[in-house]
Amino acid sequence: MILHPSILALFISSLLISLMVLYSTAYGIQILRRWDIASGSELQLGLERRTYLVSTIVAYFLAFQLVSLFMFIYTADSICHLFVGAMCAVGTLTVNQFGYPTLVLKIITFLLAGLWLILNHADNQGFDYPLIRTKYRLLVVMAPIILAETTLQGIYFLGLRPDIITSCCGSLFSPASRGIATEVINAPPLPMLTVFYLSTSVTFASGLWFYLRGRGGALFAALSVVQFVVALTAVISVISLYVYQMPSHHCPFCILQCEYYYVGYPIYIAILTAATTGMGAGWLSHYRGIASLREALPGLQRNLTLTALVSLALMAAISAAYTLLTSFTLR
Amino acid sequence: MITAHDITKTFNAGKPNEFSAVRGVSLTIDFHRATVLKGPSGSGKTTLLSIVGCMARPTAGRIFLGNREITSLPERFLTEIRRRTFGFIFQQFNLIRGLTVLENVMAPAYPTGEKFPVLRKRAQEYLDLFDLGSKAASKIEWLSGGEAQRVAIARALINNPSIIIADEPTAHLDSKLSHEFMAIMRRLKADGKTIVLASHDPIVYDSDLADSVIEMRDGQLTSTGSLP
Repeated sequence: MILHPSILALFISSLLISLMVLYSTAYGIQILRRWDIASGSELQLGLERRTYLVSTIVAYFLAFQLVSLFMFIYTADSICHLFVGAMCAVGTLTVNQFGYPTLVLKIITFLLAGLWLILNHADNQGFDYPLIRTKYRLLVVMAPIILAETTLQGIYFLGLRPDIITSCCGSLFSPASRGIATEVINAPPLPMLTVFYLSTSVTFASGLWFYLRGRGGALFAALSVVQFVVALTAVISVISLYVYQMPSHHCPFCILQCEYYYVGYPIYIAILTAATTGMGAGWLSHYRGIASLREALPGLQRNLTLTALVSLALMAAISAAYTLLTSFTLR
Repeated sequence: MITAHDITKTFNAGKPNEFSAVRGVSLTIDFHRATVLKGPSGSGKTTLLSIVGCMARPTAGRIFLGNREITSLPERFLTEIRRRTFGFIFQQFNLIRGLTVLENVMAPAYPTGEKFPVLRKRAQEYLDLFDLGSKAASKIEWLSGGEAQRVAIARALINNPSIIIADEPTAHLDSKLSHEFMAIMRRLKADGKTIVLASHDPIVYDSDLADSVIEMRDGQLTSTGSLP
């Protein structure tokens, strides 16, 4: 293991998050089994008092979970010089077989943590804990994923040694490589760009409709999921080519570096924010019938939708700036 | 009406010094009437009063304010109800030293965001009502016990609550001032306020103000009923 401050911070914070999520899940299971708002029993009143504290603490931990995805990528990128052959985060993540699975789990927990925070916020708007079971059910689903992420991340960090020879992004994200990355980067660039703009436009239009009319939440949520996959694929298969101005360099991490003005950070933040808030806004439509949320929910959904729309627009604007305004062309 | 169902309040639960201040109390308090909780020290009056007034949460049981159950409310909702519905007069007055009389009266209304000139005008009106207009700029520590009591009443009224709760309000007053306090309570009751008093002072519970006297001992009700 390399005793880098960021690695230690990620290692310790993941352990703390896992411990807190474990405790909260045990408490959540008690809520799922014993919660009865009509009862005035000592147990029920105890649950009511504790949920306020537990959900507040979990919210802070999960907010850090959102940040930890970017901290993980930044760390992987910043220590790449320690490994022979590595030139960016790709090399660091391929030092052993646990790097990419950890990254994938971090992306999944980012989305789930974002949704949990949205649900928790919505629940806090109602006086009668309207979404308490839903949010603890989601926490129960998240718990094993967060634990798996902490375990994989721990094994990954413990297996980091500076004498390991690894691969650079040029070899991993090239058309000649093998694996899922190849499938993504071999997607034909210009049709992929068309699909990206089409998906962004349709998702944006759906979000705008939902924002203005308050209808079509489920469609917007579904399109946000599709847009998330399409956008990530487009970044790797085509947008990165325009950023690097090289027809064969598809690395999803070099765009996070100083040479490219850290443009990867706004791109990925926009993609993840649009997906989380879009899904959250749509999901909340399901609870509009709850009396105690009837007043607060439309406003919250509008705010979430607006955030998703701004993120989609930002993503489209950055992509358009590179694909339309630079001299580089794939035609 | 305010309805309490099977209220229990236990302090230090599970520890050797566990103590139940209120045990399985159920009662109703009618709106626009005066109710007195009577009983010796340690009988649970203050604890019950603070639970009814949303100042504390019960260990078990439920309180209904009208049709709305309030013990399960998250703190942010409870704060609003406490601020808008209840006005508290504490045994020790709990006025803030170092502030003026006017500032003390206005303090509970600051979180409401009401415009300052409007708030100051209303606070001054309450002080005038209780013959304290000339003391508005005085520091709290310069007041006599009776004046401090009246400031505490003005402060309890500043948010125009529908229910006034007073805990041992005459404990630090002589007979004359106690009768003055009761006269103020009569006036508030006539204005349509609901009055809930906890006291073991005969001036309070034998007063014609009380529509209902509820007697407590050892955390339980020993008698409850409306007076003729």
